Amino acid sequence: MDVTTFIQTLVKALALGAVYIMMGLGFVIIFKGTQVLNFAASALSMAGAMFMSILIADRGLPFLPFGNPLAGPEGETPSIGVWLSNLIFTLIIAAILGLVVERLTIRPMIGQPLFAMAVITLGLEFAIRPFNIDATALEGRSLGVPWGAEAWTVADALIPKSYVAAAIMALIAGLVVFFFYRSRFGVAMRAVAFDQEAAMAQGINVGRVFAIAWALGVALAALAGIAYGMAPFPPGGSVSQEIHPVLAFRVLPVIVLGGLDSVIGVIYGGVMIALAEVFAGQYLSQYNSILGSGYSTIVPYLVMLIVLVVRPYGLFGTPEIRRV
Amino acid sequence: MKKIRYLLTIFLVFAMIAASCGGSDDGAAVEDDTSTEDTTDTTEAMDDTTDSTEAMDEGGGGEVATDFGVDAENKVIRVGLNADLSGPFASLVSEIVAAQQVYWEAFNEAGGYEGWTVEPVVIDSGYATDVGIQNYEQFAQESEDGVLMITENTGSPITAAIAAQAAEDNVLVIPLSWASLWPDPEFGAAILEKQTTYCIESMNGVEWLAGYAEEQGLEPSLAILSRPGEYGEDGAAGAKIAAEELGIPIVYDGTSQVAGDDRTGVIAELVGSGATMVWTTLTPGELLDIFGNAVSQGYDGLWSGNSPSFSYPVMLTSDFAGEFDQYYFQSGYYASWATPGIPEMDRLVTEMVARRPELSISDVYSTGWIEGMMTETLIRAAIDGGDMTRANMVALAGSGIEVDFGGLSANQSWPADYNEAVVRSSWIYDVDAEAFNLIPMGDYTPENPGSTGMIPLEKDYVGSVAADYVFDGPCITPSG
Repeated sequence: MDVTTFIQTLVKALALGAVYIMMGLGFVIIFKGTQVLNFAASALSMAGAMFMSILIADRGLPFLPFGNPLAGPEGETPSIGVWLSNLIFTLIIAAILGLVVERLTIRPMIGQPLFAMAVITLGLEFAIRPFNIDATALEGRSLGVPWGAEAWTVADALIPKSYVAAAIMALIAGLVVFFFYRSRFGVAMRAVAFDQEAAMAQGINVGRVFAIAWALGVALAALAGIAYGMAPFPPGGSVSQEIHPVLAFRVLPVIVLGGLDSVIGVIYGGVMIALAEVFAGQYLSQYNSILGSGYSTIVPYLVMLIVLVVRPYGLFGTPEIRRV
Repeated sequence: MKKIRYLLTIFLVFAMIAASCGGSDDGAAVEDDTSTEDTTDTTEAMDDTTDSTEAMDEGGGGEVATDFGVDAENKVIRVGLNADLSGPFASLVSEIVAAQQVYWEAFNEAGGYEGWTVEPVVIDSGYATDVGIQNYEQFAQESEDGVLMITENTGSPITAAIAAQAAEDNVLVIPLSWASLWPDPEFGAAILEKQTTYCIESMNGVEWLAGYAEEQGLEPSLAILSRPGEYGEDGAAGAKIAAEELGIPIVYDGTSQVAGDDRTGVIAELVGSGATMVWTTLTPGELLDIFGNAVSQGYDGLWSGNSPSFSYPVMLTSDFAGEFDQYYFQSGYYASWATPGIPEMDRLVTEMVARRPELSISDVYSTGWIEGMMTETLIRAAIDGGDMTRANMVALAGSGIEVDFGGLSANQSWPADYNEAVVRSSWIYDVDAEAFNLIPMGDYTPENPGSTGMIPLEKDYVGSVAADYVFDGPCITPSG
């Protein structure tokens, strides 16, 4: 086995796993807080990446006819400081979007069947997606990543800076979620997830928990969308109308494998699924003619199906206890 | 947890639907959409109305026979554009349509021809085959949208779906597609292909690239990457013919292998093959992914591909603009924006700048312009001959009439013999990321014309393979 190729494959898998983890955490936070599976995750993730593009490439502000004061000097590649400040600004806007979505579409449904709430998020996906597609157009939209497609060379292996950046983003996202869970809000969220009515009886503001879960969940989805837009991930440094709209569906096997309500499960699931996908793509490529082109895309779903058969609650999901 | 499983089941179903929709612009969908079965037979309806509408009208130099799409009283000729204005190619096609509209605005303002003017009727297909067929029916029948001919029909799938019916209805169609099927009279009797085919473009591209590789001291070896479908197969077929004729080893044959969202396998095969040249017949999104990942792994072969693979607004605004400049050579069919020394380009630029200053500069205006020139040539001949019926338009196209594109592209005629009908030249451009400067046409000046980054290296290039190759027919068989 060629060591250089192995290292490059491993790094690519870990970077993809980082993206999956960020997206998966968004799913889990919303599910734990509200028991709602967010079908609108792809559209919200892409919207977040769009906000970043509007801020950094258009030098504007989403929804507002003003210039972006954080955009940095015109005509120059943004510095890392400028880019990071705009990234934080984007996450704030994405969180606000999450709050708005929750207030307008989810909050009025408190007490209604979860199925109805899930269908509402499905409607949201279809409502938001056309705006994203129109705004990106065929060309895509630049994310202004300062390091572009640059890479470091380690033991003859090229390590793209974006892969390392994605891993750092996922690490920070994981830490934020970790500390959030140990905060007062996190405890309240877990209480609401366990039993909404009991939580309300204990004086927990369920509406606020819902709002925070959606704000955090959408911000994490946006972060994943931005990370996945960095070269050499497929969109090549941009928001893509081809790639971004299906990102959430690629994460589905991750949350099933890890367990829909488990943060630690998403982390394990993200890494395992990405490793399976990327290594299968790299090392079974000579069987392309037998397996069919794009076979590696199916590998995560195969893993998911096997896990569903053996452990329906995922590796770390909460098993259901039924009284007979 | 029962609810969770219930939701997951729904999510899984939704994911599968979305995954299949996500590939709607890829080759699989293209292949599936080529059926002609849905094409409603409009012939009967047309036959019913032909007798009543056919008339001998007072034309320019005398009487002109007409049937569909011609308002003889007001001397207005309607032409149809079945265009993708809301689908995956909307941004490109919108520019092509704008150029053809400008062409007719200029034509009409100059008094038309013998007092006849042209009114373009544009209907959006969204690149959906069923919608494209409906649009065709609307154009084909005598209605307020009925047209003399279709001067722009976006895409291979819709063109394949209407080709047989168009031949039956005598509706001449100019496709926005360069499939090698169209010059074949058996398949595209009413399809008027402009410029060369994907197949010949590949022959020229591979031969030129091999010569360039040798100049750089590289031993030519070829990797072929293509998507499933007519476009991908056509391009790959030409590349293989060229490689075989020139004795270039194909070290990786990825024909129809680029499908789905994850291209890791294809990238691994390509990089592992060590090919010194890559020929691509892909979409820009696919090329960007494969190219970006390959160069990120240190792959340093030379790249080129069929024209639709590369899109300067996508590639030259991506983080790989520098690498595209270094390794990629674009292939194409016509002069790029503001190419100097081409009289028709000067006219195109002048008219576009004056009439659409809000739009950005673009290479694809040449396409819409060329469609206009082809149509004008045929209309003039029809008026001169006193017969502006659809049947005569088809007959004129096959009569050996030649269209002079004024240097925008190779002149063209459409004889019945396949080997005579196909255009054997294509263009090769250098990709210049430094020069790339997309400006609004309102900011255009001769001193600052802007640039799409496409610098012509070879105008109307004909390689030895393309020049001498004797075709038995199209390089591929139609999937419909």
